[in-house]
Amino acid sequence: MKTNDLIIQTTTKVVFFIIFLFSIHIFFAGHYTPGGGFVGGLLMSSAIVLLLLAFDLKTVQEMLPINYTILTAIGLLISLATAAGSIFFNVPFFTHVYDYFYIPLLGETSIHTAMFFDTGVYLVVVGVTMTIIQMIGGDE
Amino acid sequence: MAFQILVNLIIAVTWMFLSISFKPTTFIVGYLLGLFMLFFLRKSFSTRFYMEKVWAIIKLVLLFLKELTLSNISVLKLIIKPEMPIRPAIFAMPTVLEKDWEITLLSSLITLTPGTIVIDISDDNKTLYIHSIDFEDIDDAVKSIQDTFEKAILEVSRS
Repeated sequence: MKTNDLIIQTTTKVVFFIIFLFSIHIFFAGHYTPGGGFVGGLLMSSAIVLLLLAFDLKTVQEMLPINYTILTAIGLLISLATAAGSIFFNVPFFTHVYDYFYIPLLGETSIHTAMFFDTGVYLVVVGVTMTIIQMIGGDE
Repeated sequence: MAFQILVNLIIAVTWMFLSISFKPTTFIVGYLLGLFMLFFLRKSFSTRFYMEKVWAIIKLVLLFLKELTLSNISVLKLIIKPEMPIRPAIFAMPTVLEKDWEITLLSSLITLTPGTIVIDISDDNKTLYIHSIDFEDIDDAVKSIQDTFEKAILEVSRS
C-alpha cells in the first residue's frame, strides 16, 4: 500500500534548505552565543532525517552518497589533530590559540582553533546520528 | 517571471555602477527605474508583467486572512452551542491544479481554515479528500473552495 506523499515531499524541498542554513548559522554562532558543534550537528542530521521521512532510504543514499562511518572517523581525526597540534609548540595538550586574519570578502576575522575542534564534533555528531538511524531504519 | 526579476536586478546593479555609489538607497532607486522600464516594455515579454503576479500573491494572502477569520467565527459558534449540531462528513473534491506546489498550497489553505481538513490526495493528484465538520451540501462546499482558493491560486500561477 503506497500512499501519496505529495504534500510532505513538496514541503521538504523548501524546509530542508532552511534547516540546513540554520544549522550552519548555529555552528558559527557557538563562540559568543548559544550554539556550537553539537547542536549544529544534530540540526544537520534532523534535516537529513526529514529527507528520510519524505523519500525512502535508497533515494536519500543516492542524493547524499556519504559513508557515515567514515564521516565519524574523519571528525574524530580533525578533533584529535586540533588538540595534538599544541604539542609541537611546547604548550600543554588541548591549548587553543586565536589570531586575527584578513580574509577577502569577510574582512578582519578572528580565527580560533576551537572552531576546528568544533568542526570535528559536528561531523562526529552527524555521522553517529545518521549511522544509528540507518541501522534501525534499514531493513536490507 | 523569474527572467523579468533577473532583468530588473541587473538594471538596478547597472544603475549602482553608473552612479558609483554602492548604497542600498541607490539600489532601490535603480530597482524602481528598472520597474518603470519593464512596465514600459511589458508587451514585448512572452509572460505577463511580474508585478501582476506579486499583486495576485498579495490578494491570495488577504483572501486567506479573510477566510480564516470568518471560518474561525463559524466554528466558534458551533462550539458554544449546547446541543452540538455538527454533521461531519468526508467528501471528494476534484481539482484542476496540476503542479506540486499548487496542490500543496491549496491543501494547506484548506487545512488551515478551521472546519475543513485535507485527509488524502488521490494517486493521480486529481482529487482531494476533505473532512468537513459541519456540512450541508457537497456541491456547495466544493464550489465555495473552488471559487475562492483555487481561483486565487490559478491567478497566481497564470503565466
